[in-house]
Amino acid sequence: MKILIAIGSKEFSTPTLRLGMKVAQAFHAKTTIIDVGEKISEFSSHLVELAQDQMESWDFDPPGVDVLEWAFNYLSDNKLIDSKQIETGFPKNRLIDDGEERKLVYLSGTICDDVNLILRNGDIISELREEVQFGKYDVTIIGKSRKRNMSHDLLQYINSSVLIVNNYDNEKFNKILLPLNDETGMMKVAKYAIRVALALGVGIDILTITNKNDSGHENRFKVTKLKKLFRRSGVAYDYKVEEGDIVEKIINKAGKDKIIVMKASSMSPIQRFFKGSIPLSVMNECNVPILIVK
Amino acid sequence: MLGFSNISLSNFLFWATQKKWFLYALGLGALLLSFPTPHDLQIEAKISIIILIVSLILIIKEPIPLPAVAIFILIAQIYGGVDTVDGISKSFMSDAVFFIMGSLMLAVVIIKQGWDSRIALGILKVTGNKTAGIALGFLSISAVLSSFIGEHTVAAIMLPIGMTLIRFTSTNLSKVKNLSAVILFSIAYGCLIGSIGTPSGGGRNVIMINYLNQAGISISYFDWMVRTYPFIFLQIPIVSWIIMKTFKPEHRILDSSVRKLVIKVARSRAITGRNTLTVLIFILILSGWVFFSEKFGLGTIALTGVFFYLLGGFVKWSDLNKHTHWGVIILFGATISLGTSISKTGGAMWLADQLIYSLGTFMETIPFFRELVVIVVTTSMSNVLSSSATVAVLGPINLNLVPEILNIGLLTAMSSAFSYFTAVAAPACTIVYSSGMIRAKDFIKIGFRVGMISILLLIAYVNIYWPLFN
Repeated sequence: MKILIAIGSKEFSTPTLRLGMKVAQAFHAKTTIIDVGEKISEFSSHLVELAQDQMESWDFDPPGVDVLEWAFNYLSDNKLIDSKQIETGFPKNRLIDDGEERKLVYLSGTICDDVNLILRNGDIISELREEVQFGKYDVTIIGKSRKRNMSHDLLQYINSSVLIVNNYDNEKFNKILLPLNDETGMMKVAKYAIRVALALGVGIDILTITNKNDSGHENRFKVTKLKKLFRRSGVAYDYKVEEGDIVEKIINKAGKDKIIVMKASSMSPIQRFFKGSIPLSVMNECNVPILIVK
Repeated sequence: MLGFSNISLSNFLFWATQKKWFLYALGLGALLLSFPTPHDLQIEAKISIIILIVSLILIIKEPIPLPAVAIFILIAQIYGGVDTVDGISKSFMSDAVFFIMGSLMLAVVIIKQGWDSRIALGILKVTGNKTAGIALGFLSISAVLSSFIGEHTVAAIMLPIGMTLIRFTSTNLSKVKNLSAVILFSIAYGCLIGSIGTPSGGGRNVIMINYLNQAGISISYFDWMVRTYPFIFLQIPIVSWIIMKTFKPEHRILDSSVRKLVIKVARSRAITGRNTLTVLIFILILSGWVFFSEKFGLGTIALTGVFFYLLGGFVKWSDLNKHTHWGVIILFGATISLGTSISKTGGAMWLADQLIYSLGTFMETIPFFRELVVIVVTTSMSNVLSSSATVAVLGPINLNLVPEILNIGLLTAMSSAFSYFTAVAAPACTIVYSSGMIRAKDFIKIGFRVGMISILLLIAYVNIYWPLFN
């Protein structure tokens, strides 16, 4: 399992890093923390590089290194990396340019395998997409952006599961909400939910939403398989079937204290592009962290 | 769907999303092409204008790499029948392109010479420790230097000096936000103000000289300076005052930080004989520009300087190659070639006529309206496009607006330096912005004030000072 945590600034990325590292711990995953800096106009990119070379001769770090250093300090403070590395401090001199327009430093994790720090510049979606394809990540974790298009682009173009960290607070979240409405991919999403629940030490609310025409038999049938899985995992769970609009019900049920884990839409990319999808609507409207499992 | 996997469909959608501005631009181009050609416009001129519109969208939105835009401009002109292959090739490589190439390479040599610490000492000796004086010093030195060696070079040299001073004042940057803005905007705006002062101040000046030469008008390095340099001295105190008033710095006196900077500079490596030789070669280049540019061209002289720097081993080719943006050079060549085509086919004259027809009444009745139109259009474009590209595409059109070709040419070049409003248009602003210490909205806040004042000053300047030459 490989996890990519995207951070953007020291001011706003603490919840993303905190939840991201908990999830990484849950999956015992190789973790990469990435900062994608602002895209520089191509007209001036070489001149900016030249100026930054000059800045380095005056002991100034290139932009973004401070964000990686902050992430390193977070990992150190929470003892998430090897103690020897904590003692030596942030290894600026080991921040290497790999020739693929990214700078990276390798660290050894304690709760998960390797922890890498990466610095890239450019359009965030393009850079994350490239990084996910290059590193074959299973989950991308990122804070919620105010730009509405961003959620769409993340779901549409990032080829990994996506966890959007939104209003995350350690104390507040006491449950996982697991909306399940069809069988495809059900077991995978349930396993993800169990892992996250175990990491956070919380229970799971499974929710099946039907409309008036649904008989409900099929859903109940699937749940027997799920119940076995949950019993084995030891996670406390509750199962409910409710009637109504799917998006509205999920958002109401999630409230302000549940993390949503749900399956990505099974529609084709073209359909999703033009019609949108239920996970996208939930992602846009909810005020809690949401993990969309692909 | 049709045998395509979800991943390939997703890849296609991603490509389409990333390239949407390319697709819009092509769509717009096709739409314009389908409109009937006005009776007073040749088909070649119409095609060159459409290529111009499409290219502008591509340059501003950057959906494809800039070298690809350059290639598009060149091949579209040939396939569109605007000119022959030989004609396009000839206009593609001009002295202006030589100059841009030489100037980018000279920047690499100059920046690596360690002049920054000497400049820092020089500024602090003159300005003392008051913030207002230091800001004025940064702005003045940036302006004077950039008028000769180019804004991007000076911005790269001055930025670390300014940032070191800020860091020595406080390591907590949130406590010195306004001071940072004062120092960094003094550097960026100083570079922009100075870049109009001589032909070598920026590629756009050389591009304009190129167009003036095509129109049969010649202007020497010294004549350019006589006409434009006083405007720099006019702008320096006013812009410095506006910056100080807009961002009231947290510290009025920077006593200890100035002392720390002086100590740091004193500890830096001493100037070597090779550094002195670099300066001497640059003085020779400068003399060449002043005395021989009309005969040999500014670009040829800049490249001669680069040749001597390479010959003497002052710079490695690998360094020049790494830091020279060949894509930008190709793009300038292509935009100049397009500008030449628009001019040759009569497209520039037609566009200028349309502007005169639509605004003619105002131009005749309202004093200085013509100058205002040229300045506002050029300033607006240079804030979204690069200033050199603005001159490359607007130059031929503006030169057809009024009979006083030299004045309108100089006015276009000068107002293209008013890229105060955005962080992305001028390299000096982008370099300063890349420090992360000023925000994009700061550019709008200060840029509006400085921009408006500069426009009014320029109108007054051209109407009071330039008539003295007639």
